[in-house]
Amino acid sequence: MMQRFLDPGVLASISGLELIAKTVVDGFISGLHRSPTFGFSQEFAEYRAYSEGDDLRHVDWNVYARTDRTYLKRYRGETNTQLTILIDASASMAYGSHKVTKIEYAKYLAASIAYMSNQQRDSVGIMLFDDEIRQFVPPSARHGQFMRVLHAIDKAETGTRTDFEKPFYHCMSFLHRRGMLVVISDFYAEPERVVKAMVPLRAHGDELILFHLLDPQELRPTFGDAALVVDMESGEDIEVTPEYMKTEYRQKIDGHVAAMKSEAQKAGIDYFMLDTSQPLDAALRDYLLVRQGRA
Amino acid sequence: MGFLSPLFLGGLLAAGLPVYIHLLKQHRSEPVKFSSTMFLERRTQSSVKHRRLKYIALFAMRLAIILLLALMFANPFVQRAVGSAGGGRKFVAIAVDNSFSMRTGDRLAQAKQAALSALSGMGATDRGQIMTFSSSVQFLTQPTSDKAELQRAIQGIQPGDGRSAYGEVSRTLRSMNQPDGLPVEAHVISDMQLTSMPTPFAELAIPPSTKLQLHAVADKREPNWFVESVNAPRSIFQPKKVRIQAVVGGAGTPPGELPVELAINGKVLETKKVTLTESGRATLEFFLPEAAYGLNRGEIRIPAKDSLAADDRFPFSIERKESSRILIVHDSRSSRAATYAAAAIESVPDAGYTVESLTSDQASNVAPSKFSSVILSDVGTLPASLESALNEYVKQGGGVFVALGSSTIARGKVPLTGETIRDARYASREGERFLTAGQVDKTHPAAARAGTLDEVRFYQISNVTTDKSARIIAKLSDGTPLMYERKIGEGKVLVLTSTLDNVANDLPLHASFVPLMEQSAHYLSGFDPVPADYSVDSFAELRSARDAGSAVDVLDPDGKRAVSLKESAAAQSIRLSREGFWELRRANGRNELIAVHADRRESDLEVIPKETLALWQGTGSRDGTGGGTSDQTTKPYSLWWYFALALFAVSIAESIFASRYLAAERETGNSLRRAA
Repeated sequence: MMQRFLDPGVLASISGLELIAKTVVDGFISGLHRSPTFGFSQEFAEYRAYSEGDDLRHVDWNVYARTDRTYLKRYRGETNTQLTILIDASASMAYGSHKVTKIEYAKYLAASIAYMSNQQRDSVGIMLFDDEIRQFVPPSARHGQFMRVLHAIDKAETGTRTDFEKPFYHCMSFLHRRGMLVVISDFYAEPERVVKAMVPLRAHGDELILFHLLDPQELRPTFGDAALVVDMESGEDIEVTPEYMKTEYRQKIDGHVAAMKSEAQKAGIDYFMLDTSQPLDAALRDYLLVRQGRA
Repeated sequence: MGFLSPLFLGGLLAAGLPVYIHLLKQHRSEPVKFSSTMFLERRTQSSVKHRRLKYIALFAMRLAIILLLALMFANPFVQRAVGSAGGGRKFVAIAVDNSFSMRTGDRLAQAKQAALSALSGMGATDRGQIMTFSSSVQFLTQPTSDKAELQRAIQGIQPGDGRSAYGEVSRTLRSMNQPDGLPVEAHVISDMQLTSMPTPFAELAIPPSTKLQLHAVADKREPNWFVESVNAPRSIFQPKKVRIQAVVGGAGTPPGELPVELAINGKVLETKKVTLTESGRATLEFFLPEAAYGLNRGEIRIPAKDSLAADDRFPFSIERKESSRILIVHDSRSSRAATYAAAAIESVPDAGYTVESLTSDQASNVAPSKFSSVILSDVGTLPASLESALNEYVKQGGGVFVALGSSTIARGKVPLTGETIRDARYASREGERFLTAGQVDKTHPAAARAGTLDEVRFYQISNVTTDKSARIIAKLSDGTPLMYERKIGEGKVLVLTSTLDNVANDLPLHASFVPLMEQSAHYLSGFDPVPADYSVDSFAELRSARDAGSAVDVLDPDGKRAVSLKESAAAQSIRLSREGFWELRRANGRNELIAVHADRRESDLEVIPKETLALWQGTGSRDGTGGGTSDQTTKPYSLWWYFALALFAVSIAESIFASRYLAAERETGNSLRRAA
């Protein structure tokens, strides 16, 4: 029943990103089986010997009283991951052949991930970029951070061309702590160049998850007649035929997706291709699986 | 080649529309936005020629549709040589109006004279046919060349009481296709009454091969007073004053005072004066002190004479008869149900029923056949003599209404029908609290006016295992039968599975109770409602389904038998062709008097304007070719039919072509334009 609310078309009719995120995540979580892995509560996980620099507040003083040893009590939710979501806000992201454009889908996805992370008390940050960094909210777990992130997502507007190097360079300079980066983009660039831009971050120890958003019309275009197609980023126009779109174009886009996946795998980056007509739960499930592995 | 309606050729200007759409407003391919052209390569359409051809073909088809449409409406024709099959002969059809208005003055005599002079123009080799018309056309002769026979037919024409309809004459003339191809010369002789014109003028059209000649026997509107309608009860049961309402009016009459009489059985009982405005109407009321038993012939008359005297009287019939008796048999412990049922039946004004209420013991020696119907209200065990008499009564055609209550439930069987009562169902205090009716069969005469019964609360219902032959009249919302009918022998039994006593339900407190009981009483008593008045050419029903096979006698206003012996045994209805009193003697001995009056639209003697007559005449042959004076003549042969066929074919082709062409465009547009 809740699955219906994960449908992008339904989400598009809901006003307010917070409500969308809550609807998606709560609907998604209620649809999952109870699993100890994904608990949001302050669930006890293990004891760890105290080491210098640890917060004294987490020392289990009862254990200390009994054993005369200092142990830290750790909880499952206590991962303190630093999550930064990067949203490609280039002009091509404004494309959409149905109710939801790619940028809207990216907003819903980012808001949902931010909401889940906020529930787990992770630090969340957001970066919007095209060929420049348009908006950057550094990761933080402070009170009100979630609303700041949502506000930034909500204000996101598509700009011009895409440049993957600048945002990752920016991340390298701003993000000192290791953390997780979620990149949501349509990746209209050479896969090698995209992944190459991310490799330094990976080397830094950051976990990267790429969500590759594509509209159904981009994956399987249905042209009935020849048409003059204008590139939304460059403005370049080109006349194409339905025959070409049915055959060669499909091969090329499939090859591009395969190349992205292959390059990402080689670099140890998690890569997921998302069709914007599909519900968000697949994306959330992928995210949580990765998150589980890193917890 | 020419055009019968050349003005429609103006429609050819509409051909500019596809020219504008296709040539001036040329299709431009709108650029569609796409997220990236990274994977696109410039390709040109391989089938540009195809596309252009498709485009031109669509344009040509659309142009052809407009042209064909305009040409079709312009009605093109070609002149075809028609060899006169008759060699100069012709067919003369003479139609004489003998409707009610032709009784005015000597109009019919003039019409006959005009018919005879039209007949004199008929050649020795020509053929002719005489017909009269009012609401329908009646042929007086077969097509013949015998002028003497045709003359005799004209002289024998009698005035009728029907309403003339010129549409019928034209329809008959249209159907007069002579097998030997003789041209038709039609003479319509009438007073050309305006009220007889059909609403659509097209109904007057006659074939081009027919030459129409109209002979008007009246040229101006003559003033005429008439009795328009009378409202009097058909049957009365009480010795009380009877109110009779009459409307008198004038057509083309000056204002003035007019005496009006009420006459019963030929005797004038009262005269009143009424003031009428110019061509106005006025309503009068007469009170008949006491009508005699039996059939009474009444008339409202205007003694003053005018040109059409026949409509100065309006016949009506009043029958005073004894009330029908209804027997209510109830349980000796309670008479509530009988009180409610009797009050409902007797409360209907002029229903003509008197109710006799008896306990089952008291009714043991009563003969049910003396009653028009019987109501068994929650009776337990009936005396054997009464049960036997009731069974016989129903088998011979009687009607019984059975209401089931606790006494009947204890008995376990429905009286007369013998169906098993399984148990009593009570509405529980905690559960539904009461039951409601869910479905009422309005087509059944007993429930036709009883409403939906949805406001009635039923607290107790008998669960009856109904026979398959039972007709369910009403059901509860859960499907349990509430009221049903069983036919037994010639008679019928209506069963209500609850009581009439305001205990097991509150039915007697609802407005629907009175019509339910009244209609049930009518239905069970075999009472057939008859129309309040009949006009000439309407039909009276002679027998109902149960009277099949029984003989009926009908006497016309002259007292002569109006049906043959064969018809008297089989005919379902009779056409009342004349004004006056018709007597019906039914098989069961009941006599009925039916008062028939002429249609009062005939009383307005306004004549059709000459221009309209000229238009009517113009629908036929204008050049006299219908007269068949030459051996070799030409006849216009309309081609519109071929144009219509071509238009149909091109339209289909255009639809298929355009849907494919546009679908292709739409597909591209839909898939890509949203991004813009």
